[in-house]
Amino acid sequence: MLIIQSLVSGLLTGGVYALAGIGMSLVFGVMNVSNFAHGDLMMLGMYLAYFAFTLLHIDPYLSLVLILPVSFLFGFLLEKLFVSRVIHHPHQNQILLTVGLGLIMSNSALLAFTSDPRILTTTYSSSSVMIFSDVSVSVPLLLSFLVTCAITALLYLFLARTRTGMALRATSQNREAAQLMGIDVSKMSAITFGIGTGLAAAAGALIAPVYYIHPMAGHNFLLKAFTVCVLGGLGSVPGATLGGLIIGVVEAFSATWISTDWKDVVVFMLFLAVLLFRPQGLFGKRGGE
Amino acid sequence: MKHRLLSLIAALLLFIPFKAQGAAPVKIGFINSITGKEAQIGENLTNGASMAVDEMIAKGYQVTVVREDDGGEPRNALAAYEKLVTRDGVVGVVGPYTSGCANVVASRADQYGVPLLVPAAAKEEITMKGYRNVFRLNAPANVYSQVLMQAVAPFRPKTIAYVYAATDFGVSTVQTAQQNAVAMGLKEVANEKYQQGQPDYRATLAKVKAANPDLVFLVSYDADAILLMRQAKEIGLNPKAFLGAGAGYTTAQFAQQRDISNLVISATQWTPDVNWPGAADFARRYQARFGKEPSYHAACAYEAMRIMIDTAVKAGSSEAIRNALKSGSWNGIMGAVKFADYGGFTNQNNHQMLVQQIQNGAYETVWPANFSTRKPVYPYKR
Repeated sequence: MLIIQSLVSGLLTGGVYALAGIGMSLVFGVMNVSNFAHGDLMMLGMYLAYFAFTLLHIDPYLSLVLILPVSFLFGFLLEKLFVSRVIHHPHQNQILLTVGLGLIMSNSALLAFTSDPRILTTTYSSSSVMIFSDVSVSVPLLLSFLVTCAITALLYLFLARTRTGMALRATSQNREAAQLMGIDVSKMSAITFGIGTGLAAAAGALIAPVYYIHPMAGHNFLLKAFTVCVLGGLGSVPGATLGGLIIGVVEAFSATWISTDWKDVVVFMLFLAVLLFRPQGLFGKRGGE
Repeated sequence: MKHRLLSLIAALLLFIPFKAQGAAPVKIGFINSITGKEAQIGENLTNGASMAVDEMIAKGYQVTVVREDDGGEPRNALAAYEKLVTRDGVVGVVGPYTSGCANVVASRADQYGVPLLVPAAAKEEITMKGYRNVFRLNAPANVYSQVLMQAVAPFRPKTIAYVYAATDFGVSTVQTAQQNAVAMGLKEVANEKYQQGQPDYRATLAKVKAANPDLVFLVSYDADAILLMRQAKEIGLNPKAFLGAGAGYTTAQFAQQRDISNLVISATQWTPDVNWPGAADFARRYQARFGKEPSYHAACAYEAMRIMIDTAVKAGSSEAIRNALKSGSWNGIMGAVKFADYGGFTNQNNHQMLVQQIQNGAYETVWPANFSTRKPVYPYKR
């Protein structure tokens, strides 16, 4: 039973990691920018969900309907104002810019919201359902997982079926060629960054009911999101999805059979092994970045 | 030449009465975690210390307090102490909050010869190295587990599991808990150390549940305590008692989460309903000024600051402060305070810790009997 319990909680937590990773991976794939503000964008999503819940009395899962467009717009503007200026610059400049943006966001949040952790308590916060008589499944985490699946499916459809989605993929495959084919690549970048921000904020909002909300909370997830991306192959959406699930399950298994204290070590050893034996990641393009 | 001499004499004349009155305020340093990951608890210390400073100044004590932030980082705490001592010229220092920070600063206090009064850090080592200039008001980590186990001992539990944060406080508290458990004949069935800030402890808790312990001994800070107890409820972990050693299990925010926090037993340095002189009055004034109930950290910082100001203003120099702290005794909101040498400790106040249990959303003191109003509820039930 312990093995099924670990698998279930690992998969569910992995779903949230995946959502955090997908946004980062998408931005990297299309824009070739590592977004180090991703964790802080997640944090903003957490606060949006918190205030939507406490001030407007909207359920955190329903508030996504508000949070997604707001954060898309925020990301779109961030790209137009700042990120677009470094898109052709060396990586270290992009890192400096995104780290800087992240610091401004987390420290502004610290000033505005203080460092008191907020707890979002819904009626179902610590409820669970039992399966196989002895395995408990967290209700809020299960909801988060289902919403993650829905968002990921919509993203697939968008990328595969719509004109903008195809233009995004073309930009991701070859920026110059896409531009020669008449695609407005700078607009594609802004849209991508908007979607990336939306996904980060959604991940934050989804984790808010099962975590605590704090100005520095994003930092706990930035490293996870980055690991998820590299594991799955930078730029690959299915890779990031699978990467998130793998990390969630590996963490849960190592907490169960090795030690809670060692679970990060196991995750990063796996990460190193992937870098050594399959540097392009599980789903990455060979010869890519 | 004559003019110069005259002006010199005039200057001296001006200076003498000034000095004789002792009007130059005594400078005291205060190091605390104002930012960083311990900032939430740090705020309680800031509030408590501020209250003490304002009240002492209102009473006519001539004192200036220089505040420094360590951000919860030992290296910053040390830099803050060195800055206070060398640049600001303080004669005594109160702080820092966390065990990690206090331990590092304590190791340098004898080198600079400026007394350090630690208000709320629990790691035993801080007052076990024989430092002459390090004093501690609160009870060290071993007492947390000691009083918790004494409180549940009459119910004869047989097994224990440990779940704790991988911090100085967590590790040292559990080490002494293990010694106490062995002395009580408790069998250890699980030992899980975790890194703070993780979203998922379910696998860990499921493992603990499989071991079926009578007691679950927890050490966590802040929000981690709430996450752990939520997930424990989800998993269906139901021991005979949850023992929370300080920090995250003693906050008002934790008590408010009634469906997960009810009947959790915790150790604390102080409660608002304890019958020590001025405790209830302090709680009232604190509530009026900051709009929330004081935590034990606030009470510790208040009393430490009050003792330091009183001693520093009367003694004046660092050397005299050290002697006065060593020989003095106080009786205030933290009960009787005396910095003594006992059981391997130096300059340690042998503080009586209290055991409290959350009953219907409020902390009730349940042990020791002479300070308590209620009886502990055992076994735990949801």
